Amino acid sequence: MDFLFLLDITFFLLAGLGALIGIIFGAIPGMTATMAVAVCLPLTYALGLHHGLALLLGLYVGGISGGMVPAVLLNIPGTPSSITTTFDGYPMAQKGEGEKALKICVVASVVGGLISAAVLFLFAPLLADFSIKFSYVEKFLIILLALSVIASLSSSMLIGIFSGVIGIWLSLIGDYSISDGGNGKTRLMFDFMEPYLFEGFSLLPVLIGIFGISTILLEAEKGAKSGLVNERIKISRGGGFSLSVFNGRLTNLVRSSFIGTFVGMLPGVGGSAASVLAYTQEKNLTRDSSQMGKGAPQGLIASESANNALTGGALIPLLSLGIPGDSTTAVLIGAFTLQGIQVGPLFIPENTETWYVMMTALVFANIVMFFLMFYAIKYIAKVVMVPKHILFPIIVMMCVVGAYAINYGIMFDVWTLLIFGILGYLVQKIGLEVAPLIIGFILGSQAEIYFVKSLESFGTYSIFFTRSPIAVVLWGLIVASVMFAIVMGFKSRARQKMELTQVTGSTPTASGKGHDTN
Amino acid sequence: MESGLLSLLSISIDFETSHLFFPRIIHWIMAGLLALILVTKVAPFMVAVKRGERTIPIVGEARDNFRFFGTLVLIVAYFYFMAVVGDIFPYTGYGFLMVSMAFVLLMSLLYLHDWTKKAITIVVVNAIVAPSLAWFVLAKLFTITLP
Amino acid sequence: MIVSNKLMTSVGSAALMAALSISSGVAMAQDGPLRGNIRVVIGSTSTGGDTYQNSSIVVDQLAEKLGLNMKVDAVGASSAFRTLDRDSRGNTLMIFHDQSYLGYLYGVEGYDNIFEKYTVGPTIAINPGNAYLVPKDSPYETLDDIIAAVGSGETVRVAIQPGGVSEIGFSALKNAIAIEHPGQEDNLVAVNTGSQSDKNQQLFDGQADVINGSVQANEQYTRLPEDDQKAMRFVWLTARQDTIEQAPEEGLGQTTREQLLEYVEPNVNVTMGNDENFTFDKEFFFLYNKDMDPAIVEQIDEALAEIYEEGEIQEIQKSAFFIPDFKPSDEASTYLADKMVRYEEIINNIK
Repeated sequence: MDFLFLLDITFFLLAGLGALIGIIFGAIPGMTATMAVAVCLPLTYALGLHHGLALLLGLYVGGISGGMVPAVLLNIPGTPSSITTTFDGYPMAQKGEGEKALKICVVASVVGGLISAAVLFLFAPLLADFSIKFSYVEKFLIILLALSVIASLSSSMLIGIFSGVIGIWLSLIGDYSISDGGNGKTRLMFDFMEPYLFEGFSLLPVLIGIFGISTILLEAEKGAKSGLVNERIKISRGGGFSLSVFNGRLTNLVRSSFIGTFVGMLPGVGGSAASVLAYTQEKNLTRDSSQMGKGAPQGLIASESANNALTGGALIPLLSLGIPGDSTTAVLIGAFTLQGIQVGPLFIPENTETWYVMMTALVFANIVMFFLMFYAIKYIAKVVMVPKHILFPIIVMMCVVGAYAINYGIMFDVWTLLIFGILGYLVQKIGLEVAPLIIGFILGSQAEIYFVKSLESFGTYSIFFTRSPIAVVLWGLIVASVMFAIVMGFKSRARQKMELTQVTGSTPTASGKGHDTN
Repeated sequence: MESGLLSLLSISIDFETSHLFFPRIIHWIMAGLLALILVTKVAPFMVAVKRGERTIPIVGEARDNFRFFGTLVLIVAYFYFMAVVGDIFPYTGYGFLMVSMAFVLLMSLLYLHDWTKKAITIVVVNAIVAPSLAWFVLAKLFTITLP
Repeated sequence: MIVSNKLMTSVGSAALMAALSISSGVAMAQDGPLRGNIRVVIGSTSTGGDTYQNSSIVVDQLAEKLGLNMKVDAVGASSAFRTLDRDSRGNTLMIFHDQSYLGYLYGVEGYDNIFEKYTVGPTIAINPGNAYLVPKDSPYETLDDIIAAVGSGETVRVAIQPGGVSEIGFSALKNAIAIEHPGQEDNLVAVNTGSQSDKNQQLFDGQADVINGSVQANEQYTRLPEDDQKAMRFVWLTARQDTIEQAPEEGLGQTTREQLLEYVEPNVNVTMGNDENFTFDKEFFFLYNKDMDPAIVEQIDEALAEIYEEGEIQEIQKSAFFIPDFKPSDEASTYLADKMVRYEEIINNIK
């Protein structure tokens, strides 16, 4: 237990401070955990390795968690991995249950974070060996599985899938990136667009454009009248949160945490797939999932526990293979190398002290995050009571900052906001669905790389079935997921026929269905 | 038989053109789905429009035109001038700071329904304080590059 | 821990001083032609990678020396070139490495001839780590074994990232085989893939026999026991012998400089014909807008010369496993242009 001597007050203060700054970064639409870590990286030279790591891990945990705030309150995912949080969080906030929703998210987050930390601590080297069994083929199937949520998420399956395919198409614009092993050639655009679109649209500006800016356009169209949201919030002063929300949700919580850890562990598959996959599985595996997407706590639990579980998951390949599991851990590598420490398969055995210190920081940051957020939520939730004429300009401004800063200062990313704001507006107007579209966009480019690379190396389509037992299991899950969506589709259609006389109110996340249903 | 199936499934991708392989598949799927949607959804919908039961989206809807197009114009102007002004003071973030103040002020006024003295005071103070705070924390404290 | 405490303190205090000077820098007199806030864009999008690390070491020192605000932004190659194109005032500078002209030689979209389109500035450092590895239980003991095997008709697959630094060693190897075993060079096959993790994965999957990697990223893999699926072995470092000789004696991780020297010429030979051996040092250098005031070029040259004269930066660079390599603009420009011509020959030979 030598490492205990390395832990002093400063260490814990830094981890806590990191969590706080991280939460603030995460809560600003467009500011991510990655950026928080990148911005504070230079500070760590002066702090030394262990204190530096405390700060950075705090930032990481805080940054991932903070994303829930705008997702629930403003329908803008603060980080890409909180995309599925908007599906149920915003409807709840509209019903005046914003505070309750956020508290559910916080509890789910801390559980996810701690479970993944435990998994990291106990099984890191073992899991690293498992993760390298996933070649392009299996990774493609995982992406396909995550994409299959589109079928069950949409109110009209045909429209939903079409929207998803449009999302994939949009993600392919730009070059077939060399850094992913492509040939670096551009497609799906005209020559004059190349200076701007060479690398395609970047994810975060697209997300905040399609959610944030288009929401503002839709409001502007209605005259941006104040009132509606504020009054409803006042109704539920108490928040209405109690731990009993989690009754019967333990399986969901644990399953989603493991899914998050597992996806985080696969290099390249990355953050947003984790919460989407956890959300899919919750939707498919529980009987009472028909309310998901309309404001069901179980959706929040799945999404938030999975995205916080990413933290521990993504550290597994970092610390036991020297390979970052996501973009934030990629920046963490810099912190190690600048201190003269290499990460790789021998990191843990050769740096046991640092390893224990990191685990302490990770667990502590999760706990600090929990207390900070759980007790601050009451005040944070009041954001929705700010009148629109004050709130909206600030949202636009912060979206601009986030979009501009995400790739370290590129003006086209700001224009992307507007392009996708307008696109999001049109898409909803003509009755397409936003959620499947954005999921398609997030996963599309990875689907391409893994699909094409699998075929390139094996030269036959049959490889997707014969590559490994893991592939077969994944196919089973995909088929089950699609079957489930079809069955649910029929059921809800039957129910709709029964309620034909009643006009169903459209939910904001799936507001695209306005013209086709009822 | 077996080998026939295998050769049917086998595929060789030329690296030089591999960037077009996946988009081509997506195009076919998109075209297929679009055709299905045209037949099953859009056609009945257009019939309904003809009979006057439905209205065409966007064109046939009521809208607060002033605020809607005002928002669009403001955002375009905001993005455009941010870069222009920012270029005069390279990498200081002043472009963002100054243009944001103007933008926040104008957009607030656009959305403000009751022009009372108190409301306008709040709007003006907010337009000065919010961008300054964002600029100070991000550009100064964290040295994030802003336009 | 390998790095001594003294070194750590000096790295730390240097960074602290740099940070302090940034915050107080504005107040200082700006008498040179370079003024205002300076942004240094780099050709990589990673803030954890070697380009970023190297650039921030140099830029921090430069900012201190010049008394200016300077900031490194990891915008990526295509955006970096474009940002540089637009600003001739000197407020935008760029740092990149050999990829900037290799991308052009390999015909990658988005790359132009840097010697025509930009002003090439001073070189600052070398990353000596570019390496080729095989699985630990590979039948190929040395690079010569690989060349001989390919020469005798065996197919050897090499996982690389196409279009640049990762491919140049592969191209050179192919060229060497074409010289020594004419007609057999097509048995050396490139497996085009992406990041380091993708390349490693190809090796674990048995989809590649050799991979491109680096000393920094793969050193620990070479120390795994042979029965571990992940175990690897270096067969070739592309750096020049005297580059590696400048590395710290303790080397990297637990692989000493002496051990690393086993994998460079003259122990490993990749011929370019005419009794010349192929070597490749990944060098980092500045790129400027063509229309930028030449006085700025001079100002930066002078400031860097002073910094390298003082000697502190070399310690910082070495501790991060970079080899200090300062050449003023003129020298760097001709040197790099020569370097490009050499590699152009190789790439043309194997077309």
